[in-house]
Amino acid sequence: MSSELTSKVDKEARKRAAAVLRDKFLNLIEQLKKGEPLIMEIPMRTLSNAIYDEKRKLLLLGEKKLKRNFLDLNEARRFMQTVLMASIIYDALVNDEYPTIRDLYYRGKHSLVLKSIDGKIISSENTWDEQKESDGVIVDIEVFTSLLREEMLILSKEKGKVVGNLRIRSGNDIIDLSKTGHGAYAIEPTPDLIDFIDVDAEFVLVVEKDAVFQQLHRAGFWKKYKSILITSAGQPDRATRRFVRRLNEELKLPIYILTDADPYGWYIFSVFRIGSISLSYESERLATPDAKFLGVSMSDIFGNAKKKPYLSDIERKNYIIKAKEADIKRAEEIKNYEWFKTKAWQEEINTFLQKKAKLEIEAMASKGLKFLAFQYIPEKISNKDYIS
Amino acid sequence: MSAKEKFTSLSPAEFFKRNPELAGFPNPARALYQTVRELVENSLDATDVHGILPNIKIVIDLIDESRQIYKVNVTDNGIGIPPHEVPNAFGKVLYSSKYVNRQTRGMYGLGVKAAVLYSQMHQDRPVEIETSPINSKRIYSFKLKIDINKNEPIIVERKSMTNNNGFHGTSVSIYIPGDWSKAKPRIYEYIRRTYIITPYAEFIFKDPEGNVTYYPRLTNKIPKPPQEVKPHPYGVDREEVKIMINNLKKDYTVKEFLINEFQSIGETTAEKLLDLSGLKENKKVKSLSEEEITKLVEALKKYEDFRAPSADSLSVIGEDLIELGLKKIFNPEFVAAVSRKPKAYQGHPFIVEAGIAYGGSIPVSEEPIVLRYANKIPLIYDEKSDVIWKVVEEIDWKRYGIESDQYQMVIMVHLCSTKIPYKSAGKESIAEVEDIEKEIKNTLMEVARKLKQYLSEKKKEEEAKKKLLTYLKYVPEVSRSFAVFLSNGSKELILKYQSEIEDELFRIISKKLNLADIEEYRKMYKVDSE
Repeated sequence: MSSELTSKVDKEARKRAAAVLRDKFLNLIEQLKKGEPLIMEIPMRTLSNAIYDEKRKLLLLGEKKLKRNFLDLNEARRFMQTVLMASIIYDALVNDEYPTIRDLYYRGKHSLVLKSIDGKIISSENTWDEQKESDGVIVDIEVFTSLLREEMLILSKEKGKVVGNLRIRSGNDIIDLSKTGHGAYAIEPTPDLIDFIDVDAEFVLVVEKDAVFQQLHRAGFWKKYKSILITSAGQPDRATRRFVRRLNEELKLPIYILTDADPYGWYIFSVFRIGSISLSYESERLATPDAKFLGVSMSDIFGNAKKKPYLSDIERKNYIIKAKEADIKRAEEIKNYEWFKTKAWQEEINTFLQKKAKLEIEAMASKGLKFLAFQYIPEKISNKDYIS
Repeated sequence: MSAKEKFTSLSPAEFFKRNPELAGFPNPARALYQTVRELVENSLDATDVHGILPNIKIVIDLIDESRQIYKVNVTDNGIGIPPHEVPNAFGKVLYSSKYVNRQTRGMYGLGVKAAVLYSQMHQDRPVEIETSPINSKRIYSFKLKIDINKNEPIIVERKSMTNNNGFHGTSVSIYIPGDWSKAKPRIYEYIRRTYIITPYAEFIFKDPEGNVTYYPRLTNKIPKPPQEVKPHPYGVDREEVKIMINNLKKDYTVKEFLINEFQSIGETTAEKLLDLSGLKENKKVKSLSEEEITKLVEALKKYEDFRAPSADSLSVIGEDLIELGLKKIFNPEFVAAVSRKPKAYQGHPFIVEAGIAYGGSIPVSEEPIVLRYANKIPLIYDEKSDVIWKVVEEIDWKRYGIESDQYQMVIMVHLCSTKIPYKSAGKESIAEVEDIEKEIKNTLMEVARKLKQYLSEKKKEEEAKKKLLTYLKYVPEVSRSFAVFLSNGSKELILKYQSEIEDELFRIISKKLNLADIEEYRKMYKVDSE
């Protein structure tokens, strides 16, 4: 690719990532040449090594490391996969490519066929079988090198969308996020390469559901309340999380998160706020400890001593869904996570366990888009009716 | 080299004629086998004991088809027999050059004469002998029969001729009714097993069907021959002491007799024995009464401080030759042998040797193949009643790494002694003497431990090899991937660095697996990336 076609930030990111990756693996080769054991020390990515930092309100990776030793028979295959994947990523970096994780999967996938010298096949196996396996190897490399995939110019499917009073520079272009028509700007997989130019917004609203995002957009929510509207379309990807974090950190905008009223909605919130267990190694860059859970909360449905519910008896009867066995189980798990052990959250979860009822945001929209956009959300923000 | 030969006349023959089964001649098949055996063993005793590498030719011909009379001829290159001894050696029962105190193959002074007796009971051809002692200028030939009533040889014919070619040795032909088809497998097995324990001998065998088998000499190493020793006081009984006294050429006193005719007895011990027996030291031994002889023998049994009997009279095969024989015949994967230190039972020294061959071309079977030997002769019949079989059965082979119920194993046990405790005069199985049984067990366990060690090392190596295959599969991929970081996109450099890193990886793998010959394995496999 010629220099005019790619942006400068891309090139620098590329150089930096290639150097880090190369050093890390040359170091292993040095180990080997010195006769030292060939071991990669990789921080462990397990619940037991995901430590909640009370002070910083972040889910961080602990000190526990796994030693991936090529000579350990149980580790040899994974070792091979790690070096193979690293070499593919490195090759893509130095060749100005932008592989997706699926590309990486295909590039590395082949069979290793062990044959006796007369050609008889002794055993045969694939370097990896499913993408799940190669995806896991990519995460290993991120943890091992402390390089995020974005930094290694690996693209993933764009999932998050944003509209609002914000102008950004992406690549060589300036984009006005208030001029996207009925559509929206897809948050690029490398949000760190975005520059914020100017902003005229007072808060950020993140909605879990893409459909609700579209409804609010068309209703002119962000215009009326001078805000930036974002959807993660379900579980947030890394780019959306990083983008939200930067809005909070660099532009000092408060972040409100609106999800379904169920354990999955709560967990989406906590991923935005403190990080996820499986990606706790990047919480420091992705989590937004300031984010607030706007709703839908149990008190919105059932009310409490201080407030009347938003739903009438009949609406409640029609909209709430009976919690399933799996929902209850998940709620009990979440109740035990360190970072959910606050008074407000324990109340929220206990109410759920007691009522065994959940509610989708769409139910609030069914009550009327105007109710959702111009009453429910603004009222809750101005009343500070949220859980942190 | 050559041991001094003594000839002693003992007792008559009529008994054995009436009880041929006791000497191993119960039926024609067994008689044919027994005749071959007696002649071959005499030939071996005439050769290796005297330091001669044995060349032995065995020919069996069917000469009278209607009566199934076979001629068994065995020719050796041994020391020959002095012509004046020939008639007694073949025609007088219990007359033997072997009635002395050292390990020999034959023991009873009966063997070949039982064959001669059997021969003349069933047909009328005499036994034919041609012999020429070492350096003799003539070859002597005899045709003999036995006068059973008198236990005397009958010389049917006697000739001699000039020995032009420096021949020495003996050729004996005996005519007997036999049953070749029944005896055939045993005779072949006998020769094969003899060959295993005598790898320094050469055998040629022509059977009645005209098949000739050649068993080449495998080594020129002959085991140390046994030395003749005086009897040990614990090893003699009343009758034997009487015979010793009868045979005395000198007029010894009792004390002189004890000192000169036994091992382990000097001045002091002799005096103590006289004390114990209550005999006077200057009493002439030939004048002892029956009662006094009993007292003397009782004193010999009672005295506790004799040294263990001398093992100079024994001749082992040795670990090397046992391993060689087993290796050549069975082509096994593993072979080990143990030759133990001498032990004694009832005043008789003995040594147990054992060998194990495992795997390879050994046929698989429900039971291990057991090769029993006593004083270098194979024991073929009555396997299951032998003490060796009993011990083999008692050992828990699983403890020694034999995991399967199927055996691919040969167990060889050799007992040498101045007196083998046979169950019968047929000399086919060894009796259960406690000291011997214990020693056989210890020997087998010792050699089995070697097998166990081999099997456990083999298992370790197989496991290491299995692990190696896993590494082998990943090494090229890991090396190539590493090389990408070193080679700046150059394809040639990738190949160069890849092969360097592969070498380094194999170095740490070989260290980890403790596999010295890793380069060999590397050459045996390749990994294709497809």
